[in-house]
Amino acid sequence: MDFEPRYTAEQEAFRTEVQEWLRDNIPTGIEHPADSSDLTYEQYQLRRDLGRRLGEKGWLWPTAPEEYGGGGLTVDHSVVLEEEIDGYNLSLPPYYDSGGRLGGNSILVWGSEEQKQEFLPKIFKGQIRTWQLLTEPEAGSDLANAKASARRDGDDYVINGQKVYVGSAHGSDYMWTITCTDPEGDRHHNLSWFMVPSDLPGISVFPMDLLSSAGESGAGSGVKNIVYFDNVRVPAKNLIGGENEGWKVATTHLELEHGTGGKIGRNWIVDRIFDYCKSNNRRGEPLSKDSDIRESLIDIYIDAEIGRLFQLRNYWMRHSGAQVTYEGPQASYFRKQSGLRIATGILDILGPAALTKDAQWGAGEGHIEAHQRAAIIALHPGGTTDIQKVIMSRRIGIGRQQRERAGALA
Amino acid sequence: MDLSLTEEQEMLKAAVRRFVDTEYPKETLLELQATGQNAPSEPWSKLAATGWLGIIIPTEYGGEGGSFTDAGVLFEELGRGPVPGPHISTAALGALAILEAGTEEQKRGLLPDVAAGRRTIALAITEADYQWDESDVQAIAATDGDGYRISGTKVYVYDAAAATDLICAVRTENRQHVGLALVPADAPGVSIRRLEGFAWNLAEVRLDGVQIGQSSVLSGRAMPGESPFAGGWLAVERAVANAIPLLCAYQVGGSQQVYEMSVEYSRTRIQFGTPIGRFQRVQDHIINLVNELDSARWTTYEALWKLDTERDAADSIHLAKTVSSVAYYNACNHAHEVHAGVGSTTEYGLTLHTTASRTLYQFLGDPRFHRRRLADALGL
Repeated sequence: MDFEPRYTAEQEAFRTEVQEWLRDNIPTGIEHPADSSDLTYEQYQLRRDLGRRLGEKGWLWPTAPEEYGGGGLTVDHSVVLEEEIDGYNLSLPPYYDSGGRLGGNSILVWGSEEQKQEFLPKIFKGQIRTWQLLTEPEAGSDLANAKASARRDGDDYVINGQKVYVGSAHGSDYMWTITCTDPEGDRHHNLSWFMVPSDLPGISVFPMDLLSSAGESGAGSGVKNIVYFDNVRVPAKNLIGGENEGWKVATTHLELEHGTGGKIGRNWIVDRIFDYCKSNNRRGEPLSKDSDIRESLIDIYIDAEIGRLFQLRNYWMRHSGAQVTYEGPQASYFRKQSGLRIATGILDILGPAALTKDAQWGAGEGHIEAHQRAAIIALHPGGTTDIQKVIMSRRIGIGRQQRERAGALA
Repeated sequence: MDLSLTEEQEMLKAAVRRFVDTEYPKETLLELQATGQNAPSEPWSKLAATGWLGIIIPTEYGGEGGSFTDAGVLFEELGRGPVPGPHISTAALGALAILEAGTEEQKRGLLPDVAAGRRTIALAITEADYQWDESDVQAIAATDGDGYRISGTKVYVYDAAAATDLICAVRTENRQHVGLALVPADAPGVSIRRLEGFAWNLAEVRLDGVQIGQSSVLSGRAMPGESPFAGGWLAVERAVANAIPLLCAYQVGGSQQVYEMSVEYSRTRIQFGTPIGRFQRVQDHIINLVNELDSARWTTYEALWKLDTERDAADSIHLAKTVSSVAYYNACNHAHEVHAGVGSTTEYGLTLHTTASRTLYQFLGDPRFHRRRLADALGL
């Protein structure tokens, strides 16, 4: 076993190249705000610009196939990139792009050659930012109940309906969405996916007022929206995977969304609370010397380490082609539950200073306060913890008569 | 990065699993559990004949010169039984203690016998004030002519009843050094009494003026002119630290077996007209179980990898022991929830693990002990 990439001289040279490039190309002012909803439009543009330049080098989606604009790099090269950009508190891509991550892979598996040529280079080179639109007021955990409709009309489909908890601040170029194409059809045989250009007439976007958007760290979405489709005409060539074939596409999308992709990187909030406790005193001693606080810090550390190892394992499985079963939803379940435990530990350690972003009386320059809000809201995006357990059970082979197989990944 | 086992390790894993299935069927394990005889009679001699007991002993001392991860694979599979010791005590703790503390002559004299399973070892460290700290060692080695007389009471000694030799932590008369003495289990003055009940292969070892010669002190770390006991405690601490991930692998194997039993049972046990695994309340137990199992597995194998690559492994060792001890303990608890009454019958076999998990929870340091050490290792 080898828990780290084994670097050849060539790869060490690659790391040096990456370090130098990042040093020269990451602009100032791009820093992750404590609350991702505070990411300004200017900062977002800086991040998009960085994404395009990473994309030009094949570093934005390092392991995506070269023929579609990806980097075509090995896992070990990819790890180098992820680690180095993590050092800047950024991730790949350096902005919220859920539709690119999940839709891109789905198109890679289910799209026609023409569709791959059209959409994938734009995603992998960072030319577009894509939102995913799945959830509806009546289709949350039960995605197959999606009611937003797409009706064929000549060379177009006409989309009507409402999607919720969508995207981020600062808009998108494409919307990757699942619709119902046969309201009378059988469940799981009446759905279809589209890549919808965001500027089509009839699309309107309204931000939601939420306790937290609980976006992924480093690429936090900041804002979630309601999106209305009012007779939106989408060219039929933007239908991915075939009419009424949407559920099989969804299995690929959901496989990644449920955690199978894995992740490389530190847990920033854990680093932050450890640093805070080592460098701040109470009654003349560092907080980290207090026996109760040490107990909490060790609880936090253990959760973070197990979470890191689950993500590392999934990252390796994803990129080595190992057979996955329950590992994706396991990592997702653990991340959500441990995230809340970690927030509780931080609240135990800091008390009310964890709950305010007040410059004088809050701890951690607002990051801690934002994390307290995000930890509870993070339980549901990408599938509730209960849904993760349902999927795990099916994959383990106890939830249903027949053991469920994992969704196909490219 | 590659989180898979090598081809050789996969072969070893398959071979050990076949061996355990053949030589340690449930009936044998239950009988060993009932009688407490797990050495040197069958099937121990068959295990010794495989050569696996020399897995981490260097080839120049008659071992296989394998890696820590190789040994992890071995002990994980033994843990599935759970095959009772003294394999961990002999092949991991004993071998590592001799490697760390022995002189060259002692290594050459002892290790080939350890690798061949002719000599079985138990580490007698803990006493009435039960902890794994140096300060808790009160047994005394008093100078007696050319040698020493050892007196004291070791308690909660794992595998003592199955050992031919005991490596005892003892304090010098002037109380300056804690070192290691190799004491034959049948030496005059040694009495070993099994501790009955829920404890698993634990014993009291009374040392009543046991005479040993100079050559029985593991004195490889003593400088010329120093007491031969000097440096012994440091050596045994290192041996224990390096053996811990192997004990963790054993706990991983036990958790894995308990997980598979529980999945199988939940698929085949019919109540209310349906396999009980269809009930989400039952699924919750199995999900909790597999999460414990995988937490133990990956913390353990990362620690083994750090040892193999000579990285600083202190944090990973304390993490792995904390997580694996809790995981095996909880895995058994969840399995009992799934199995209900059936799990409580001895003949079913789950209680073998339940019993093992309790003793191993604290053996080589309980979770609280390792959490304190982890905090220190992290610079808190």
